[in-house]
Amino acid sequence: MEEIAGNELAIEKREQAVLELADFDEVVRVYRPRILRFLLSSLTDRDVAETLTQETFLKAWAARQQFRGESSLSTWLTRIAVNLMRDHLRSRSLRFWQKTRGASLDVMDISDWIPDGRTSPESQAVARNQVAAVWEAVHKLSAQQRTVFVLRFVEEMELDEIAGTLEMNLSTVKSHLYRALGIIRERMGGAK
Amino acid sequence: MKFRRHRENPEAQEGREEIREIAEALSLYRSAMDHLAQRSPMRPFAADWRSGRSFPLRLLLAPALTAAVAAGIFLPVYSYSHHHPVITRPLRTDRQNPAALATVDDTALMNQIDSELSQDVPDALQPLADLSDQTTTNTTVSEKKNVTHE
Repeated sequence: MEEIAGNELAIEKREQAVLELADFDEVVRVYRPRILRFLLSSLTDRDVAETLTQETFLKAWAARQQFRGESSLSTWLTRIAVNLMRDHLRSRSLRFWQKTRGASLDVMDISDWIPDGRTSPESQAVARNQVAAVWEAVHKLSAQQRTVFVLRFVEEMELDEIAGTLEMNLSTVKSHLYRALGIIRERMGGAK
Repeated sequence: MKFRRHRENPEAQEGREEIREIAEALSLYRSAMDHLAQRSPMRPFAADWRSGRSFPLRLLLAPALTAAVAAGIFLPVYSYSHHHPVITRPLRTDRQNPAALATVDDTALMNQIDSELSQDVPDALQPLADLSDQTTTNTTVSEKKNVTHE
């Protein structure tokens, strides 16, 4: 009985996800900030992050017929973004001239975007230092570790969801996350 | 109990403090990223994603650049490979005009001369032999004439 109810719920979720995809304007409006946030956190180039965000939605639009709702729309879009980012990182070594462009995000740019919830200049400076330390530590991680780390701590995804998105074993995800956290902790400790 | 807890606290408290700081830093980092993503203006082609023109410029430029590079590489090779036919074609067409025919005749003549020259060199007495043959035939004819006259 419970199994039947579970199946019905799963079917309902799938139908809901497929229905959600039908209004693509709304999909772009809702999920674009999330995809851009993930790509901004994973890449150092703002221009590339924005371009890949656009490409994610273009790909999603082109492949919308293939979406069966087996994962949530958010997971599906994130998977597309991850694949595009992998392709980009793979070809980056060939497009070496991109490194000379001025669209890359700077630590100070990131620190400028901290919400103004702090009253004293001292606490603001501390917050800026903390964000800068995380930013630098994150970009010292390997591509896999960084992706897992960002999906967990920026996108706040569950571990099994990350495993599904990255098509990895749960144990591999845990391993990457453990190592990434170790490196972040070490670097942030050193930065203090 | 209180004393025991107090003794365990420094290490655990330090660890907790570190974790709290990291968690706070991560939270700030997430907020900064979220803020940045929310405030980033949507590009025009994203707003018009349904139209074919909404394709990113980079996606259009990449094949164009690839085509230009490919053309840069293959055109010289192509023109080089077509260079030889360009030279041979006029020769073929030349055969159809009189000058070309003359060239062919000359070639045939040269071949003939060449084949004759390549024959065995005649014996040193060959011309005399020929001459004697000619004289004998002449004499026999004249003798026959004489005989008939007689």
